[in-house]
Amino acid sequence: MKENCKKNFEKISEYLDGELGPDDCRQIEQHLEECPECRDCFDALKKTIDLCRKSAREEIPGDMRERLRSKLRDCLGGHQLSSE
Amino acid sequence: MTLNGSKWGNVTAIATDLTDHQLITEFKEGSMEAMEAIVDRYENRIFTFGLKMCGQLQDAEDITQDTFLNAFRYLNSFREETNLKNWLFKIAATACIRKRRKKKCEPDRELSLESFINKDGTFETHDIPDWSDDPSDKVLRAEMKAVISDSIKTLPHKYKLVFNLRDIEGFSTKETADILGISIESVKTRLHRARLALREKISNSYREGKSA
Repeated sequence: MKENCKKNFEKISEYLDGELGPDDCRQIEQHLEECPECRDCFDALKKTIDLCRKSAREEIPGDMRERLRSKLRDCLGGHQLSSE
Repeated sequence: MTLNGSKWGNVTAIATDLTDHQLITEFKEGSMEAMEAIVDRYENRIFTFGLKMCGQLQDAEDITQDTFLNAFRYLNSFREETNLKNWLFKIAATACIRKRRKKKCEPDRELSLESFINKDGTFETHDIPDWSDDPSDKVLRAEMKAVISDSIKTLPHKYKLVFNLRDIEGFSTKETADILGISIESVKTRLHRARLALREKISNSYREGKSA
C-alpha cells in the first residue's frame, strides 16, 4: 500500500463527515481522483453509511408502547420527583 | 413536587409545537399530558437505539422503560442549558452498558485498522447495494434491513455505541463524546473502524446472497 493510500484510508471518515481542514480535504480529493482503488473504498464506505441510515428507523410495537405508559403511570403517579 | 396521577386516565391533547423545555416546565408543574408528549416525541428513537444496541426486543423494551423512568424521576436535576434529546440518550447509553455488564458478556474485542487491509497492502473490493426508495420493493427492503441489523449487531459494544449515536441518531462527534464520556479522538477512531467493519459485513452478506 502506498503511503498516500494509507493516509487517505485513515482519514476517510473524517473527510466524509466534513471534519477536516481545507488542506487535508484538497489532498484527499486529489488522491481520490488519481487512485481508483481508494475511490472504490471511499464510495463503498459512503454507500454503507447511507444504507445504514436509511434502513435504521424502528417503531416501538403497540403493546410495548402501552406497557411503557402503564409503567410510568405506576411508578411516577403520585410520587415525588427526586431532587438529587 | 407531587405528581397527580389522575390526569393519566384522561389525557387531553397538548400542543405538539411546544419546545422540550416548555414541556418539561409543564411536567414539573404536574402535567401528565406534558409527560406523554415527551414520551411520544422520543420513544421510537430510544427504542430503535435499544434494539440496535442489544438486538433483542425484550432488551429494547427494558432500555426504553429504564430511560424514561430515570429521566422523569431525576428531571429536577435537568439543567436548563441541557438538550433533552442528548440527556435521554445519555441515560439510554448508560442503561445499555449496565445491561451488558449484568449479562456478563465477553470483553469487547478491538477492531484494528490493519485488519481491513490485505496482507499484500491492497484493499478488498466491496460491493454495497443501493437502498431502494421504491415502496414496491418491500421484500428487498426487508431483506436488506435484516442484513444491516445483523451486521450492526456483530460490532463490538463500544464501537456499536459510537456508530449508533453518530450514524443512526445523527449526533455530532462532540455530542457523542459528551454522551459517552469519551474523547473526541476516541469517537472518530471507533466510528471509522465501525464503518469499515460494517462495509465488510454488508458486502459479504450481499455477495453470499447473490451467489445463493
